[in-house]
Amino acid sequence: MIVKDAVCPFCGCLCDDIEVEVEGNRVVAVTNACELGMTKFMGEKRLKNPILRVENEWKDITYDEAIRYAADMLLSAERPLLYGWSGTHGEAQCVGVHMAELIHGVIDNTSSVCHGPSILAIQEVGHPGCTLGVVKNRADLVIYWGSNPIDAHPRHLSRYTRYAEGFFLENAFRDRKVIVVDVRKTETANIADEFVQIKPGGDYAVLSALRAIVQGKTDTIPRTVAGVTREQLIRVANLCKSAKFGAVYFGLGLTMTQGKYKNIRNAIEFISELNRHTKFTISAMRGHYNVYGSNEVNTWMTGYPFGIDFSRGIAFYNPGETTAVDILARKECDAALIVGSDPAAHFPRKCLEHLAEIPVVQLDPYPNATTAFCNVQIPVAVTGIDAEGTAYRMDGVPIRTRRVLSTDYLSDEEVLSRMYALMQEEPRP
Amino acid sequence: MSFLMITGRTVNQGVTVENKTSPEYAAETSTCFMHEFDMMELGLDDGDAIRVTGPCGDVVMRAAASLEVEMGTVFVPYGPYANHIVAAGTRSTGMPDFKSHEVEIEPTDEEPKLVHKLMEDLGGLAYDR
Repeated sequence: MIVKDAVCPFCGCLCDDIEVEVEGNRVVAVTNACELGMTKFMGEKRLKNPILRVENEWKDITYDEAIRYAADMLLSAERPLLYGWSGTHGEAQCVGVHMAELIHGVIDNTSSVCHGPSILAIQEVGHPGCTLGVVKNRADLVIYWGSNPIDAHPRHLSRYTRYAEGFFLENAFRDRKVIVVDVRKTETANIADEFVQIKPGGDYAVLSALRAIVQGKTDTIPRTVAGVTREQLIRVANLCKSAKFGAVYFGLGLTMTQGKYKNIRNAIEFISELNRHTKFTISAMRGHYNVYGSNEVNTWMTGYPFGIDFSRGIAFYNPGETTAVDILARKECDAALIVGSDPAAHFPRKCLEHLAEIPVVQLDPYPNATTAFCNVQIPVAVTGIDAEGTAYRMDGVPIRTRRVLSTDYLSDEEVLSRMYALMQEEPRP
Repeated sequence: MSFLMITGRTVNQGVTVENKTSPEYAAETSTCFMHEFDMMELGLDDGDAIRVTGPCGDVVMRAAASLEVEMGTVFVPYGPYANHIVAAGTRSTGMPDFKSHEVEIEPTDEEPKLVHKLMEDLGGLAYDR
């Protein structure tokens, strides 16, 4: 059987033109997906049943036992952390927020270690963004800043920018310029019309210089700024001003580096400056499948996009204090529920040392690095492959994902709903 | 020698990320991409083991020559190896300094550990059925 127009569950592009060939409840071929998406669809070695760690051994347990364990763990914790949520659907994220509120826990999603700083900047100065379709059809200049789509979002270039046909561009490949700004000369830099190589940590200075040039203060620019020559800065500023419609896509090269959210703020203000001359937008290259959805769901349920602390009974938000890395590094939480992410592979070791000391339950189809720190791992359906639901694309468009396989695995939403129902039965103080 | 360590996505990291117990994921995330001249300075060939020491300890990786990085900078794909030496401070943002760590690199005879072993060193228990 061939399933057409399936939605890829790997990165924030959510490519919705994937063809998946299924034979006997196994994916045997995938068309249109990039290498990352194809491997995700073809994934194997799933955990067969829930597992419980008993001292130095793993024991198979039933779903009922595992769900009861998780509910009891969260109910008896004083400061539980509910982390992850980017690899799952909006429906499961909703249950997570209700659960965090019920037990006065902290709920954080993986954006705190990806585009959290971007959101902090957007909260300060706003976000002149647009959908990917608008860029594809209208943009005659695209800038990738601190992002490397060839490695991280392989089809972004062919679906929306460099290699995409545009409705308002006669010859998109010729008429659309691509500028890449990065500290490394990546594969993406090799296909750019203009590559701006800056010294690590120099993004803020380069953005400030570009803002000054667009404001007409070219005389104030020194000979080089963070390794970029004055001539190149002027050339880039002029390319931007002369574009009919420009789009900037920035990545973790801005959010993880020195300056963090202040870099993004400066980039947004550079775009605001350009909007006095022409039409320009700026958007984040969201990496992890439905990470955008976790920000959306958290925001429309609590008012805050990530790092939400319910310990006061109401939603409280203070990145750096109520975010997962900080809470774990301070050894503050006394239980952790992990859904749709793998913090053991992606958090600094100090955080893992605390995960090893507290009870941990993880919902994930595959054994991963966090499995080693679990007391219980509950295998679930793979979101977007054998579970369907809502995911948000990197431009904020919610997409109903399709189910291409039918398995007996419960979805994240089903497991969490059963946990939540058990937790609601307990008398509250 | 001192270097600035940057972490980030690679295609191979993305392809192996759903199978973190595999040797391919371990090999990719324990690769330290370096400038050829820096490798010459340290007497390293492609694939040689190196000890990378950061603010929170050290980890063994393998050096690989790359045209993409500048001298004085090294690039390591996201994963448990780089995170073994990254500090947990977030400067009030929630985000650690994943792309701006000073590290010391020296040749070593030790082999990189498996992901399982790294996790067990921190108090975890590997699941490898």
